[in-house]
Amino acid sequence: MAEDPQRNFRSIYYEKVGFRGVEEKKSLEILLKDDPLDVEKLCTFSQRFPLPSLYRIHVWKVLLGILPPHAESHLLVMKYRDEQYHDVLHALQVMRYIHEDSPKVEIFLRMYQLETEKLPRQTDITHLEPEDEDFFAIAKAMYEMVKNEVDSYWLIKCFVNQFSHKYGDSLPHLPKSLEYYLSLEDSRLLNHLKSCGAMSKLPYGLWFRKCFAGCLPDSSLQRVWDKLISGSCKILVFVAMEILLSYKIMLLGMSKAESITQFLENMPQENTDAIVSKAVDLWHKHCGTPMHTI
Amino acid sequence: MAKEQPNVGDLLHLLETSDLHELEEVRAAINEHLNADRGSIFLNSLVDYYLETNSGQALHILSSVREPHDKHLLDKLNDCMTKSACRLATLTLLEHVIRKQPPWIHKVSRAPILQALLKCLKTDTNIVVLITGVLVLIILLPMIPQPGKQNLYEFFDIFGRLASWNLKTPGNTPEVYLIHLHVSVYALFHRLYGMYPCNFVSYLRSHYSMKENMETFEEIVKPMLEHVRIHPELVTGTKDHELDPTRWKRFEIHDIVIECAKVSLDPKEASCEEGYSSIPEHFTTHLQHRQTDITDPHSCYTSASSTPFTTPRQTMAQPSCRSPQTLRCSNDPNRDVFWSPSTVCGMSTPPSSRGISPTNVASELSHSAPNQPCRLHNTPVGNKGTISNTPTTSSPPHFCSDEYVNISVQPQTITPTHKDMRPGTGHDYDGASSVVIGGSGDAIESKTTMTLDDLPQFIKELEQQDQKEREDDAIREELHNITEGKSESPGPRGGFDSPFYRTTETLTDGERKHAIPAHPALIAASSCGLSSDNALCTPDKLVPAATTRTDNQGAFPFKPVFTPIDRPVLQTSEGHVSVTSEERQKPLFTPSPCKAQTAPYEALFELALPKAAALFVARKTAEAAQRVGAKYPIEDDGKWHVSTSPLEVLDCLIQQGKDAHVRELNRLPLPSKSADWTHYGGSPPSDEIQTLRSQLLLLHNQLLYERYKREQHAVRNRRLLRRIINATALEEQNNAMKDQLKLQEDDIQSLKASLSEEQARNKKLREEHETMVSQLHTQIRQLQQGCDKYSTANQELQSKLMEYKKAAGDLRVELQKANNKICNTGHLLNQLRQKLTNSETVQQQMEFLNKQLLLLGEVNELYMEELRQSSPDNSKEEEMLKIAYEKENEKLRYNAIQQSQRLEAAQRRIVELETQFTKKEHLLMEQKKYLEDFKSQASHQLLAAQSRYITQKQITQVLEREMSELYSQLEKKNLLQSAGVVSDKRAGGRATEANTPMDSRSDCGGVSMSSVSNSDCTDVHQAESPKINKSTLSYRPPPSVSPGGGSSVNGRQDPPVLMEPSPSHSSSSSTSSATNDTPMTVGSYPSAKSFLTMRNRELFRNKSESQCDDEVPRLSSLSQVLKTEQCPDPLGTCAGDLDHCKTALGKEENTDGQQTKSYQEGTSQQRQQHLRIMDYNESHHDHS
Repeated sequence: MAEDPQRNFRSIYYEKVGFRGVEEKKSLEILLKDDPLDVEKLCTFSQRFPLPSLYRIHVWKVLLGILPPHAESHLLVMKYRDEQYHDVLHALQVMRYIHEDSPKVEIFLRMYQLETEKLPRQTDITHLEPEDEDFFAIAKAMYEMVKNEVDSYWLIKCFVNQFSHKYGDSLPHLPKSLEYYLSLEDSRLLNHLKSCGAMSKLPYGLWFRKCFAGCLPDSSLQRVWDKLISGSCKILVFVAMEILLSYKIMLLGMSKAESITQFLENMPQENTDAIVSKAVDLWHKHCGTPMHTI
Repeated sequence: MAKEQPNVGDLLHLLETSDLHELEEVRAAINEHLNADRGSIFLNSLVDYYLETNSGQALHILSSVREPHDKHLLDKLNDCMTKSACRLATLTLLEHVIRKQPPWIHKVSRAPILQALLKCLKTDTNIVVLITGVLVLIILLPMIPQPGKQNLYEFFDIFGRLASWNLKTPGNTPEVYLIHLHVSVYALFHRLYGMYPCNFVSYLRSHYSMKENMETFEEIVKPMLEHVRIHPELVTGTKDHELDPTRWKRFEIHDIVIECAKVSLDPKEASCEEGYSSIPEHFTTHLQHRQTDITDPHSCYTSASSTPFTTPRQTMAQPSCRSPQTLRCSNDPNRDVFWSPSTVCGMSTPPSSRGISPTNVASELSHSAPNQPCRLHNTPVGNKGTISNTPTTSSPPHFCSDEYVNISVQPQTITPTHKDMRPGTGHDYDGASSVVIGGSGDAIESKTTMTLDDLPQFIKELEQQDQKEREDDAIREELHNITEGKSESPGPRGGFDSPFYRTTETLTDGERKHAIPAHPALIAASSCGLSSDNALCTPDKLVPAATTRTDNQGAFPFKPVFTPIDRPVLQTSEGHVSVTSEERQKPLFTPSPCKAQTAPYEALFELALPKAAALFVARKTAEAAQRVGAKYPIEDDGKWHVSTSPLEVLDCLIQQGKDAHVRELNRLPLPSKSADWTHYGGSPPSDEIQTLRSQLLLLHNQLLYERYKREQHAVRNRRLLRRIINATALEEQNNAMKDQLKLQEDDIQSLKASLSEEQARNKKLREEHETMVSQLHTQIRQLQQGCDKYSTANQELQSKLMEYKKAAGDLRVELQKANNKICNTGHLLNQLRQKLTNSETVQQQMEFLNKQLLLLGEVNELYMEELRQSSPDNSKEEEMLKIAYEKENEKLRYNAIQQSQRLEAAQRRIVELETQFTKKEHLLMEQKKYLEDFKSQASHQLLAAQSRYITQKQITQVLEREMSELYSQLEKKNLLQSAGVVSDKRAGGRATEANTPMDSRSDCGGVSMSSVSNSDCTDVHQAESPKINKSTLSYRPPPSVSPGGGSSVNGRQDPPVLMEPSPSHSSSSSTSSATNDTPMTVGSYPSAKSFLTMRNRELFRNKSESQCDDEVPRLSSLSQVLKTEQCPDPLGTCAGDLDHCKTALGKEENTDGQQTKSYQEGTSQQRQQHLRIMDYNESHHDHS
């Protein structure tokens, strides 16, 4: 890349000093100026750097496939998306699955179910599967981030689809890799958790299936989801590990698995940015920094 | 607690029961109470009870109180001490308690009871109380050995007070009491001297240097001093050191008691343990073993005793003389002279094993040894004359084996010391002699003891003197022999001189060290008490030392050992060591308590007091002398009075109890002395009782005190026994080790011998080996030389070979070259030959050509000439030809130019075209890219659109499902409603059956179902047919909830569509009325669905518009669909429906309206619809 020399020699300094992503906006803009957008490069970019919030939604849409790489079709495709959304919404309203007062997340859930042909019958409407709970969490978080209904619905839908398709197989292995990386980083904590029997009781559902929705505040969650959306599910492991490491002292003080689980589920929301940054560093350290493939 | 008081009181009284069982219970109860109760009330009551009743049980309980109560007890005792009435009882109680040595006894030193006791002792006047108190104090002292300076001075003051008691207080006190008091003071003296010699001595010095106390000192204290030896602490200790707690930490109570006893020379008081030899005891034990020959022991003794005699206070037992003493004593050949039943009957520690270990022998000897020193001591002047010729000379060999080396040295030293002794002893004995003489009135220093028994015995023995003379001679001779033997002797005895001897020595030293010269004041001879103590009673007596006073040194090389006891009576000439004198004296010492009943009773009491004792003794001596006659002149020089110990006096008193009592009574102012009061039935006078009681009490106290001492001794003995056992075990081990060592040495010797053998052999072998080696070396050298030679030769040959090879190679190369050359030359030669032939031919040709040329030249010339001669007119033709040729030339040139120009142009064109071609290619690439891009974009859009479409399909699916559900719910309701109408229900059922298939269809089967349902309806009209069931059944499997929305819509759609074409069929429906109801139900549906149908129709319209071009093939497909029951492609069916719609497009609105109208109108129209449907399908069928 022609910009690489220009980017690199300063960015290294910035990284050293701790300001990451300073020059990134410019490079992102450059990337976004491409026509058609190079999704690979965007993936790599978002894996390396946190996305600027200005472009985040846009980039997410591109990465998730909601928007095609070609900028000219964006409008048309958005129109389609919009229409599709409203069609489904209308259908559900007609069928009285939802009404005006339904919460957004429920609406999204029903729409998603309809689109995936999993819409339960009216009689079974109240029965919620665990996946629905996950969906709710994710949907709620996403809706908070993206205020637009259509966008949020599409983002949720594609996010969940991508998550279940790409990472569905590797989900069960995430706890094991958490253990493995924790043993690399801090075996003492790991031993303590194992001795309490807490390793099996960590809130994996909250962490791995809900992708930290509801656990981290939006600002930090966005950065985590950047990485998720751009194709890595290992980041979840590292965020989890970083949470454990950050609260190591408190965890070591606890000896009961239930209290540990309780604490982790109601994690304090203060230093989550630092946690996420450290987690990203850890992830880069262990899994390497993705480079642009030229 | 008050409630318990009466119980407690009862308990206390119950202590006096005679029932053992009950007694046990009561005691247990009391103990429990004491344990539980930490207050002092019960204890105080118990003490009071004891004080009142003197109950033994209470005493027993009180003396075994434990920790919390000890303080209460001491306080209570302190309180009771203040009251003089119960003071005695309190002291008794205290004495009992202390004797038990409770673990808290050390607290007494800080308790007020001690001060009360001391105060009592200082101020009280009741003798009994004083005596008891003193005994208590004596017992207590070892237990609180660190009394503090103040208390210490108080002890001394008490001693001083009590010592001078009898002199300073009115003499109304009965002599019995005085004796007891004297005994207790004596014991106190011993205790204080033993425990705090320096302090005590300084006190004595300060106290008795005063004039007024001189008398006390002379009479009382000095004799006591004669019964103790010099305490080593006097030399090595200081006043402060005595009070130093560290000093006392080493000692236990019995240790202290024994330490005191060691210093004492009184045979009754002292103990014979190592460190000190208390000659008295052994002396008295072996009193019977009178040694006839004093020889060395005696001399040793005397020499040893000389030094002590220099100072009145100092007694023997100097360590310096200890060992020689020991040796002497043990080696004393005179030992064998001493006979003791133990040697005969093996009562001493193992006499049978005498030969085994020196210790045993030594111990045995030591048993007998001490006698000698005692006696030696008592023979102050080394008088050989006084040899105790006792018939008890036992087997000399017993003792010979124990000779020690040094003994022989001693005799010589003894004699000179005698003289030294004498002045010292003279002082001591002067008193005695003066007494003998008749009482010079000087201070009597020597105490004499005389036992009552001795007197009668003495008398008796005087009669036996003849016998004894003979024995005496025999003994003398034996002594001689033994001494001589002894002087030669000191060979190494097996075992004794061995290195292990030393160890045993220490064991036996203790016993041997008895050979400490007894204090001149020793009264070993007063055996009545002592001999009764030990079983070694023999009638033999020691020659009193008095007889040894004479410096009859010539008679024996050594002084007679025995007769340490100076019987003042027997102040016979000691010079001869006359047995007679001894014997004379013997009877005095013979213990025969039984005989002395009628002995002068008064004498005893006089003896209790030193002065009186001396007088008594003098009297007795005189009497004896009178009886004996002048046979044995009493010599008064060198008489050495042995002061009798108060203890012995007491013993005599006890033995003479009855007489004492009588005498006592005599002193009392009684009306009739000889009356036997009890005879008259009256009670004895109270005074008598009082005295008896007090005497009893005193005796009891004394007994307890002695018992206590005995117990301490027993404890100590057990300790020592354990040590002995350990030592013997170690000795055994040593012996075993020695044996082992021996064996080892033997082994070593044998091994050394074998080693030397082996070494010799080894040497031989080595030499052989060396010769062999040298031989082999020479051989090797030779061989090597040969080898070298051959190798050099070989090398030379090799080098030559190489050279030759090289030469050969070179030659070959040359040869090759030569061959090559030859070949080359051959070739050249061939070539040259060919060339040669060629050249020859060429030459020939040349020649030929030359010739031709010549010829032709000539011909040419000829022709030229002809030519010149023939035609001069060809110039025009030539010119014309030239011109033509030139023109042609130009043309050709021009053409050529043209061609070249064309060529250039073509080339340029080519170049241009190529560039254009590349550009076109570029454009193509870009176009492709663009196309790709566009395609991707389009595909993305298409994907987006498709997703929309898929979503729509899903929506429709969901909607259809909803509809089916709702239909089913409706039908269920209808079923329920129509439950009452049976017949109608059937038809309705059919209709419903007919209808439900319509509803319960998948959308894919929409049209087919409608058609079939139509057919079913026809059947309905005609009759029920199994076909319906079949068909309905066939259509039931698809779930009723399946999204039949579309299909029903289709169905719905059909009737309106089909309504038109066949309105005529409505009339045929006769049974339609029957199904009125059902269509009603059916009819209810459309109201819900009308909106849906409209919507769907819209959708379908849209679709149909988009797919209108596919109409025709759809029709055919529709027919296929109609025939089959499956309709996989909803699109197809929809299309089919669309066809229907299309065919009846124009009628749709009508049908709609009709539909609505029909629905509103009624059932018949419904049926008509059905029929129409049916008809229409049939017509359709016809069409198809």
